[in-house]
Amino acid sequence: MTPAKNLLTYSYYPGCSLHASAKEYDESTRGLFKALKIGLQEVPDWLCCGATPAHNVDELLSLSLCAKNLALADGVEGDLAVACAACFSRLKVTQHHLADNDAKRTQVEYAIDGKVNLAKPVKHLLEILAKDFGLDNLAAAVHKPLSGLKVACYYGCLLTRPPDVPQLDCVEAPTIMERVIAAAGAETVDWSHRMECCGANFTLSRPGVVLKLSGDILQSAKRAGAHCLMVACPLCHGNLDIRQKEIEEATGERFDMPVFYMTQLLALAVGVSPSKLGFDSMIVNPLPLLREKGLV
Amino acid sequence: MSRIGVFVCHCGENISRTVDVEKVAAEAARIPGVAYATDYKYMCSDPGQGLLKKAVAEHKLDGIVVAACSPRMHEKTFRNAAKSAGLNPFLCEMANIREHCSWVHEDREEATEKASAIVEMMVARVKKDRKLVPITVPVTKRALVIGGGIAGIQAALDIADAGHRVVLVEREPSIGGHMAQLSETFPTLDCSQCIMTPKMVDVANHPNITLHTYSEIEAVEGYIGNFQITVRKKARSVIEEKCTGCGVCSAKCPQKKIPNTFDKNLGFRPAIYVPFPQAVPNTPVIDREHCTRFINGKCGVCQKVCGPGAIDYEQEDRLIVEPVGAIVVATGFELYSISEKPKGSPIKGYGEFGHGTIPDVIDGLTFERLASASGPTGGKIIRPSDGKEPKQVVFVQCVGSRAREKGISYCSKICCMYTAKHTMLYKHKVHDGQAYVFFMDARTPGKSYDEFWRRAIEEEEAVYIRGMVSRLYQKGDKVVVMGSDVHVGVQVEIEADLVVLATAVQPRAGADTLAQKLGISYDSYHFYSEAHAKLKPVECATAGIYLAGACQGPKDIPDTVSQASAAAAKVMTLFARDELEREPIVAKVNERNCVACLYCKKVCPYGAVEEKEIRDRQGNLIRVVAYVNPGVCGGCGTCQASCPSKSVELDGYTDEQIMAMIETL
Repeated sequence: MTPAKNLLTYSYYPGCSLHASAKEYDESTRGLFKALKIGLQEVPDWLCCGATPAHNVDELLSLSLCAKNLALADGVEGDLAVACAACFSRLKVTQHHLADNDAKRTQVEYAIDGKVNLAKPVKHLLEILAKDFGLDNLAAAVHKPLSGLKVACYYGCLLTRPPDVPQLDCVEAPTIMERVIAAAGAETVDWSHRMECCGANFTLSRPGVVLKLSGDILQSAKRAGAHCLMVACPLCHGNLDIRQKEIEEATGERFDMPVFYMTQLLALAVGVSPSKLGFDSMIVNPLPLLREKGLV
Repeated sequence: MSRIGVFVCHCGENISRTVDVEKVAAEAARIPGVAYATDYKYMCSDPGQGLLKKAVAEHKLDGIVVAACSPRMHEKTFRNAAKSAGLNPFLCEMANIREHCSWVHEDREEATEKASAIVEMMVARVKKDRKLVPITVPVTKRALVIGGGIAGIQAALDIADAGHRVVLVEREPSIGGHMAQLSETFPTLDCSQCIMTPKMVDVANHPNITLHTYSEIEAVEGYIGNFQITVRKKARSVIEEKCTGCGVCSAKCPQKKIPNTFDKNLGFRPAIYVPFPQAVPNTPVIDREHCTRFINGKCGVCQKVCGPGAIDYEQEDRLIVEPVGAIVVATGFELYSISEKPKGSPIKGYGEFGHGTIPDVIDGLTFERLASASGPTGGKIIRPSDGKEPKQVVFVQCVGSRAREKGISYCSKICCMYTAKHTMLYKHKVHDGQAYVFFMDARTPGKSYDEFWRRAIEEEEAVYIRGMVSRLYQKGDKVVVMGSDVHVGVQVEIEADLVVLATAVQPRAGADTLAQKLGISYDSYHFYSEAHAKLKPVECATAGIYLAGACQGPKDIPDTVSQASAAAAKVMTLFARDELEREPIVAKVNERNCVACLYCKKVCPYGAVEEKEIRDRQGNLIRVVAYVNPGVCGGCGTCQASCPSKSVELDGYTDEQIMAMIETL
């Protein structure tokens, strides 16, 4: 239910991961938005965005899945809020691609048996927090500043790329995650692998690649003195968190680096109870670190 | 009844491919007043012009329409032909059926119809053309050269050696430009200072050259042969006539830690300084932004120690007005930087290379200062972060150049060669060091250029990797270079001690502002435009203004010097005459109708309109009218369009002529 007094209201597309392996991302997002009094209403009957497989196999399928979701979202009030970096990317790419391609648009409209509507703004949570809600308002809502916590903000491949499509921030040197988490009182580190690929779907077909790439990311974050990583993508989270033990075995280096979804840290800072943030479903246990910093 | 001749040109196949030229000629022959019409393959050729001359005599023609290309291309050619046939040249007009017709249309029938219409319009205009006599104006045999780099120096010396006076204006405190910053030059590896500084001395000593350094162009007025320029001589705080260049002031200046921009901020300089020891003139300048005296009034050491009493804290900018007949623009280039650009800028920075925040990632010019014997390290190659000698150096070509995604599509032309040179200079100084080069293509068209590049690989053992670099980041005291090797098809990672970026060549900041003062055109990157890419490579479309060096496009030293000498030759050609003929296409005021509202004065972009008083014989003022100075009028017709009483008209473009043209449609 969306309370009427909310200033900001969004329709919400969680995507498959947030209903499954990234449940804690979904829970913390809802908790955070409730605490900030931002309305969030899930799009009814949404479909998978197609993620990486669809556009590799069949472009029309990939575009149609997203176009259908956009059409469904049309029935819900507010701009479309998206948490997962891949869903966000696919929805934005679809809008971008269909905006200047009439032939493709006709095909997609035939496939989904309805009109394509590209007018609905698709926004990543970061954009909502930094631009719509505002960093000052965010800072004002913080009850428990994340002081002393050194966070390495990890963007991955899809949040800002390809150029001109998501238009979230500077393509190769964004700062939006740093700005958002700094508003919650955390310290951010300047590190080299903020934009490197974690290995993504190779985690299933060629795990060795992921061990190398995600290992480099963990090493770089550790080198920069970070206590933890902060991500906005369920797949990156999987690779960095679930595979961390394997990476430690492969490199012989111990990281012990919790990997948070950004909404978990922000929700904690605005006073959402830690028991509702899914810390228990993380593989690298974050509680020792959070206890040490007096945050739980 | 007029007797007009119409000549339709095929332009090889350029026109005849789309336009039925025989039909256009046949149609033209039926227009009342046309006495003769024909077509020919190349009207501009000798037989084509001969055809025109013969027809004038045989058919007693009193007007000519050549239906061919743009008048910008060949109006002069055909007017000269008409003149030699005994006709007033201004009775010959061109109907543009190439740029305005055949090149832009595909349908032959429609294009032919349009070509006939264009011809008919021009026939209507020629019928009402008046005989005009060229205006003669005197030529001031004195040239202005803007920019004291190698281009400006070469142009100034050539013109001055021919016996003409030259005013050379340089923005920096010394002439020399970028070439003075270079270490050694390709493809012969001779030292830049050794070939540059004697030329700088020649400029200083030349009796025909007036040098204004630390000066900028404030305003430009006038036209070919008769420009009037205003130079702002910025306050140096040092009286040039008194200063002996002893250098005591710089040595005693308590401010010592100001980043030296000539050394690309690798070293420091005092607040009163000459940019480099071989500077011309060897007169220091006070950097008022950093001088304690100017910040809080609490110093004055340089004035105390100066023997000749040359320091003048009260000095102000001076404006100097100079009449000149020709202008050579040689404002040069600057290097693109990978730093973050303002929001909305069409050119983007390199976030993936750290936006310039990694200390051991430098640009090519900084490497030149490191390698230069007169540089801040005395020619020792060390890294800026910790002063250690780098053992692995990665050079990255095409940074910003040929990078459409960053907003620059062009090739900067000089980087392939200077990067090859850098690998050699590095190997000569660090024998156990290894140079790597990431490159897209090696572009080495030039005399002895490809041999030079091969030498870098084969003899000096530079490793060339064909591929682009995706990311640079700091890892400990190394800079990690991530790139691809497209020949082998693998990703490459090199831990480098130093990374040198061959960044794009861009026009100087403010190039657009200067162009607007001069009234010359520039492209979207702000490189100045030549009048014709192939046949007029040094002239601007604005008469009397010539281009030299990298302000027109990226260029190496040999090309720059060639163009500078070419620009000088053009100036000398102009100065070979005492008087110039100007086109008489100027506006004239009908004084009987003019009510002196002076709207024309407000809109005239050339400042050619004056107020004229009409007096009777006793000297009593009867009324005031507008007057157009024919020497200044640019013939644009803006006054004609704005005049409410239709009292001012441009010869050759009168309202009557334009209406007659419209009526044919």
